[in-house]
Amino acid sequence: MSKKETFKRVLLEAVDEGLLTLGESGREAVYFHLQNLYGVKKDEVPDKIEEFADGLRKIFGLGATVIEKAIIKSLYAKIGMKHEEKKGYSFLAYVKDAENVIQS
Amino acid sequence: MSLFSNAFPPLIAGAAVIVSGISLQKYWRKHEERFSIIWLLFTVGLFFWFVGESVWMGYTLIWNVEVPYPSVADDFWIAGYIPFFFALYFYVRIFGSALSKKMLAIAMGVAIILALATSFMLINPVIGSEEDMLTLAVDFAYPLLDVALLSISFLGLLIFMNGKLGKSWLLINLGILSNVCGDILFSYTTLQETYYNGHLLELFYHFSYIFFLLASYIHTKEL
Repeated sequence: MSKKETFKRVLLEAVDEGLLTLGESGREAVYFHLQNLYGVKKDEVPDKIEEFADGLRKIFGLGATVIEKAIIKSLYAKIGMKHEEKKGYSFLAYVKDAENVIQS
Repeated sequence: MSLFSNAFPPLIAGAAVIVSGISLQKYWRKHEERFSIIWLLFTVGLFFWFVGESVWMGYTLIWNVEVPYPSVADDFWIAGYIPFFFALYFYVRIFGSALSKKMLAIAMGVAIILALATSFMLINPVIGSEEDMLTLAVDFAYPLLDVALLSISFLGLLIFMNGKLGKSWLLINLGILSNVCGDILFSYTTLQETYYNGHLLELFYHFSYIFFLLASYIHTKEL
């Protein structure tokens, strides 16, 4: 499996775990709405991470940051990176950093 | 008018319980799951209020009690606040870390101002009243319990207001705000002995059930 594929798999697992913040029913509901409203299927989340983040914001408003943090924590733990909060860093920037580490 | 004002609340409260129950059915997975617990508590809270409305209707329409206050109906209404409060609290707690200190300060400020305003509005009629201690305690309890609910639900509104769930939280806030207005006016008018069955203030209670019903429906639709 290529590094890119590995990252996608790990990111998908992290998203799955992060969404568990809402419980199983909440997670299912988020996937359902992301697919129906924003055309992002569960398996496509790593490829459409910007649309995913946008969808979360549109559903939860400011509350999306809590889910994003849970996803980033899970992602960094999976790849053995230490998660430190950086001022002004977006969810996508954290994901990009993790991708760079895996691909380096 | 009296028939409408006494028979309509159990109907609309019952409808709110049913819609909340549909949400519960959607979100229920396991009893230890957060959304399962939250929606169970919402539904139980609304159910208690529905029973309170039904008991009040029984007193007024069947036993012809003019104003059954305080009565068994109040036990159910007050009991309903407990699950309702914890439902809001558990929901907001999941997303609590999204709130800045400034937002928390605003919410706390709003709650304190409302609690003080409520107390000031009722203190004069209470001093001049000849009601027994239990009635006076209940007069104060309702508006203050409403303010407790509102202080939590306002945090939810701040968290979700820019998202699709914001509409649902706005409706929850409007529902509680309607109860705040209704309960302050009810306490005030009963203390002044100007309350009568079918008083216009009861519209606030009707609106609050409609807001809660719509809040459940929109939440289920948006998530």
